[in-house]
Amino acid sequence: MQMTSRAAVPAFRSPGARRLWLGLLFVSPWIIGFCGFYLYPFFATLYYSFTSFTGIGNPTFTGLANFDALIHDDTFRTALFNTFYYTVIEVPFSTVAALGLAMLLNMNVRGQAFYRTLFYIPSIVPVVASSLIFVWIFQPSFGIVNALLADVHVSGPAWFFSITWSKPTFILLGLWGMGQPMVIYLAALQGVPKEMYEVAALEGAGPWQRLRYVTIPMISPIILFNVILSLVLSIQYFTQAQVIETPPGSPGNSTMFYVTYYYQQAFQYLHLGYASAMAFLLFILVLIVTVVLLKTSSRWVYYENEER
Amino acid sequence: MTDNIPRRRRARSWAAPSALLAASAVLTLAACGGPAAPSASSTSTSTGSTGSTSGVVNITWQTMWSGNTLTLLNQMVTEFNQTHPDIHVTESNIPSATGDAKLLSEIAAGDPPDVFTEWNPVLGEYAADGTIQSMSPYLTGTYAGLEKWEYPIALQGGEYKGTLYALPMSMNSWALYYNKSMLKAAGISSPPTTLAQLYADQAKEWKTPGGKLEQIGFDPDAGDNAGFEYYGSFFGAVNCFNSAGKYSFETCPGAATEANWLAQYDNYPLADVEAMQAAYGAVAGGDDDPFVAGKMGFDMDGPWEGAQNIPVTNPSMNSNFGVVAFPGTVGKPSTFGQGNYNIIPKGASNPQAAFTFAAWLAGYGNATFTAQIDPKGGWMPASPSIVQQPAYQAWLKANPWLNVFVDQMSSPASVAPSLTATESEFETAEATATEDIAEHSKTPQQALAYIDQQANSAAGG
Repeated sequence: MQMTSRAAVPAFRSPGARRLWLGLLFVSPWIIGFCGFYLYPFFATLYYSFTSFTGIGNPTFTGLANFDALIHDDTFRTALFNTFYYTVIEVPFSTVAALGLAMLLNMNVRGQAFYRTLFYIPSIVPVVASSLIFVWIFQPSFGIVNALLADVHVSGPAWFFSITWSKPTFILLGLWGMGQPMVIYLAALQGVPKEMYEVAALEGAGPWQRLRYVTIPMISPIILFNVILSLVLSIQYFTQAQVIETPPGSPGNSTMFYVTYYYQQAFQYLHLGYASAMAFLLFILVLIVTVVLLKTSSRWVYYENEER
Repeated sequence: MTDNIPRRRRARSWAAPSALLAASAVLTLAACGGPAAPSASSTSTSTGSTGSTSGVVNITWQTMWSGNTLTLLNQMVTEFNQTHPDIHVTESNIPSATGDAKLLSEIAAGDPPDVFTEWNPVLGEYAADGTIQSMSPYLTGTYAGLEKWEYPIALQGGEYKGTLYALPMSMNSWALYYNKSMLKAAGISSPPTTLAQLYADQAKEWKTPGGKLEQIGFDPDAGDNAGFEYYGSFFGAVNCFNSAGKYSFETCPGAATEANWLAQYDNYPLADVEAMQAAYGAVAGGDDDPFVAGKMGFDMDGPWEGAQNIPVTNPSMNSNFGVVAFPGTVGKPSTFGQGNYNIIPKGASNPQAAFTFAAWLAGYGNATFTAQIDPKGGWMPASPSIVQQPAYQAWLKANPWLNVFVDQMSSPASVAPSLTATESEFETAEATATEDIAEHSKTPQQALAYIDQQANSAAGG
């Protein structure tokens, strides 16, 4: 047999190519889904952001008009501020709370499994149901929170219905869902080698030093993961505010979050071009925040196998 | 290594992923562009969604209702299918929060329902965009008298720039509910007939011991249906447009009177009232509110409050409420004409059959059956001829307070807001402006200017 006969085999029939095609076939459901439900909508959104479009008929190209209108839109600026306010306070607050709770639940106490279940259960309650329950819990006149405050002679505010207190109340409501990150932190804490604590104790490290120099560095990749997740979810905050406030954004636009306003523009006003511009800016915002966090993470995140 | 695999086996190794790929592609395409699956509530036994089978035209009807109302809709579809052997209706329901978006997606995809039930204020936007079809071509023959058959305000609610785009199914009418025992406890012998009396009477009913709100007298900004727009007909402040057809509440005398009247109530704790409203609204599927719960002296609401919400949610209030026309400055009883209307979306497969069904739902040529259904839903009819039916009269006799609502339907002072292409912006603006007045963040005049500015300028495309 002449050597030239093998050279005639097409490249796509080579073993490597076949393995590649086989692999692609196996991941094809995901690829199709990704292209159909993420990639195409992404580029479609980008295109529509330069148009005037109501969802019916053909979009009209308007260049940067939507972005220009956004810059001059007072409600958009309010929504941006409200979202920033919520994110800046809620993310650190919920991170510390979830981590602290995970540490408590990591202690070897009686009924440990019960407590872990107890604190996790709220996170599996549907968001709409829990939001409606909290309307009653924070009801100013006959809600349980103000009743407890009244017992200690404190006059509670109107919570969700006060311009001053509405955002802080939503931040408090955010604690209800901390079961999810708490479980992740708990898993991470259990992965910290006990020997490290023993060595630290032998070296004379107290509880605070063990936390500062052993626990936090060892679980820092998990903290980074949870912080990124929490940031993205906070910037996209929507459901609770939409369910609780009537009309959405009230009182006085104090709960008009970015996605609340986006929803209003897209599905109430049918300004799909304008809403697409908002959606694209939101993507840029989330991207910037995530990249900045990842870039700065090298200063505070410790990876065991990392070579520096 | 692959070369050593027998040819037949190699073929099999490709067969599984190929099938997987094909299946996933089919599923993805089906999810993207396939016809909408009927909901669990579908009443159809039809084999197709639209089109004609054996001389029967199949049409689809999409609504956004649930609960008790859905049961009524199912009864209506069953009745129509039984009495119209040449048309078969399949009904589907989707949650109201996504109903509009789904309709638009269906129209864009070229697969809309034949009939869609929609809250009529938004129809101006749909008509302006060409999203819905004109019904004028069908107003011939049997249907030539349909427009005159309707209440004037019911007809106006379906027209955009003089063209008919929608037919009413259930109309609204608004009046003043009062709590009898609260009125008595406040030492008041009869319900108010003027705005001044209303303010004075309700002022006696507030209970805020230690700053804690226990009972509301009246707050015009309380409730889902509250706000500037809903009180407009009592002040002659509906359809305030300038000569260019733009919203012009700032120069509308009735609007200024109304805004000043709203400001009269700004000394009451709005946040606490809204919190109480939200708390009760969070239960009973939204059918509860402070008035139904017996914690509010006066409430501006529709007939469903007394016909449905109170009997279902708090029957102890059944004999403890009364209804009078809302006092205003126009001198006659009036109401604000809005309601649930049926439209034929652009691209509907069988518009002629869809129109036949929409007219039947309005009660045209179907007054006897409609007169039985409307009371069950607490609905105002589209035409006085339905009111004259024995079933409707029996309902009025059993609930005489309903006469207030019915009489207002034909009052010359009643008015339907003109449908506009920026109704959503107007609604948001008027709700915000009403709240701003109550919160002292805007003067009445500033609030009116804000409504005009927002309603006349769409923020973007």
